[in-house]
Amino acid sequence: MSLTVDERWDLIDRISRETVTAGVYKETLTDVIGEITIKPMTGIPVVIASLYLFWSIFGSFAGFFTDGFFVKFFDQYWLPWWQLHFPDTWEWLYYIVVGDPLADNCLEAFGMLTSGLFVAVGVVLPAIFIFYLMLTLLEDVGYLPRLAVLVDTILHKIGLHGYAIVPTILSLGCNVPGVTATRILETRKERFVMMTLLAIFVPCGAQLGIMQQVIPETMGLVLLYLVIGYFVTGFVLNRIIPGKSPEILMDVPPYQKPLLRNVALKIWMRMREFFTSAIPFVLLGVLMVNVLYLAGFIQWLSCTLSPLFVYWFGIPEATVGPLIAAFLRKDLAVAQLSVIEMTWYQMVTAVVLVSIYFPCLATFVMLLREGWKELLGSLAVLIVVVTVYGGFVHLVGILAGVA
Amino acid sequence: MKVLLMGHPNVGKSVVFNRFTGVDVITSNYPGTTVEYSEGSMRAEGEEVTVIDVPGTFSLEPKDKAEEVAVEMLEKEKNAVVISVVDASKIERGLYLTLEIIERGYPVVLALNMWDMAKHKGFNIDVNRLSEILGVPVVPTTAVSGEGINKLASVLKRARPIEVETISGRAGGRV
Repeated sequence: MSLTVDERWDLIDRISRETVTAGVYKETLTDVIGEITIKPMTGIPVVIASLYLFWSIFGSFAGFFTDGFFVKFFDQYWLPWWQLHFPDTWEWLYYIVVGDPLADNCLEAFGMLTSGLFVAVGVVLPAIFIFYLMLTLLEDVGYLPRLAVLVDTILHKIGLHGYAIVPTILSLGCNVPGVTATRILETRKERFVMMTLLAIFVPCGAQLGIMQQVIPETMGLVLLYLVIGYFVTGFVLNRIIPGKSPEILMDVPPYQKPLLRNVALKIWMRMREFFTSAIPFVLLGVLMVNVLYLAGFIQWLSCTLSPLFVYWFGIPEATVGPLIAAFLRKDLAVAQLSVIEMTWYQMVTAVVLVSIYFPCLATFVMLLREGWKELLGSLAVLIVVVTVYGGFVHLVGILAGVA
Repeated sequence: MKVLLMGHPNVGKSVVFNRFTGVDVITSNYPGTTVEYSEGSMRAEGEEVTVIDVPGTFSLEPKDKAEEVAVEMLEKEKNAVVISVVDASKIERGLYLTLEIIERGYPVVLALNMWDMAKHKGFNIDVNRLSEILGVPVVPTTAVSGEGINKLASVLKRARPIEVETISGRAGGRV
């Protein structure tokens, strides 16, 4: 037999009256900090300070290892060694594995073992390690639900609620777990809006790492364009997609001291994922792009798409190649863009396009798993957004006199 | 034997799961970390037990996709024993889900998790009396430190389906 809701609560009342006694609760320091970080007056400054701290640590840690060690190692020893020792019996093989024999740095060479490994290990690895370390601490301390409360009002404007900040932040590490995390949203509308925004506007940790390395000065502008795009597109989607975005009642857990074992374990699991799936994909991406160049396909495609790229987006047609690589790995695509001759604003436009254009293959597969109708819908939105927003970025450049 | 770990979001089901099976699933301090189920196995009282970590749910009427996964899991595993993991300091609402599961005829073990925190907050729970009324094994646990986990595994066999009328009859103080 089953009870009605009221009968059940009634029974629970009777049970707990007999078994539970509540003592006096003393407020602790943790509770006080909890209050400070959730009230808007004090909480918002805390958010800004945390973001700033997060960003400084991310930049300096990744820079320390990449510039301080990997760039020197890869450019001075690794690249010349391969250029010298790899047999050049077959020119095409040399081109695929080592790349340009005259290149003097690992971004320009663009071979599987030179640029591929440099991007994956030299640039992205330190970046995502520090990113995941900080993300894990935020998760385990219990900050995310408080952040969700703080941003609730803003996110309601785009058809979501505060808790949507969780998939968004997870996506900044990697879009794949971000897409899975949309399951905590209640309605189909919310999930669709969230998945679409993630796939289009949220750059992953690998991409943030490479941007930090190759376009440190203009990265802020790229991110600003992405944030604006996230909100504007969300606002529009909220208006045109039918369905509801309910209010939430949320449990805010108390702050806890992260357990070393758990932090180490999570970082290990996430790094393992990087070694087993990301690195092979980066190498595969270089291989694919190089084969397509050798076959003349990319040159043909660049020529065909040239009017769209040159006149509408205002960027050189050579950026078509990186956009192909972006389908496998966005970090690789940004690395490839960095060696193309163009103005700084064209670079900003091109990096924004790489970000908002087609999600990487792994994300694509996740979206498909969550439902093919949603995937098709997201892709339709994506095509419109890339075209319109890419043109808009160009237009802003023209009006500002920099494009 | 199959065991389902069920309970509200962020009560520590995944921590219990990791303790039981040694299989590592991601655990964090925010509701909704687990949105898919994970399976692992352990030996309890000389028997091989399959343990399933189920996404958190507030009730058996799902309101999001993660909760749907949880309810589907429960409906699929007709012969499972359910460990209802509740936050000991929020025991009333944990009991709501526990009762729903009992009403559906599943044998249940109640884990009063975050026991350390509940004590710190000044709660006092009469575990024996609670077990008597509910007619199910009740074990206080602090999964992050491993306290009570062995006890929890050892009482699994004592779980029996129970009629909710019986529980109601044993609970005193008709309102």
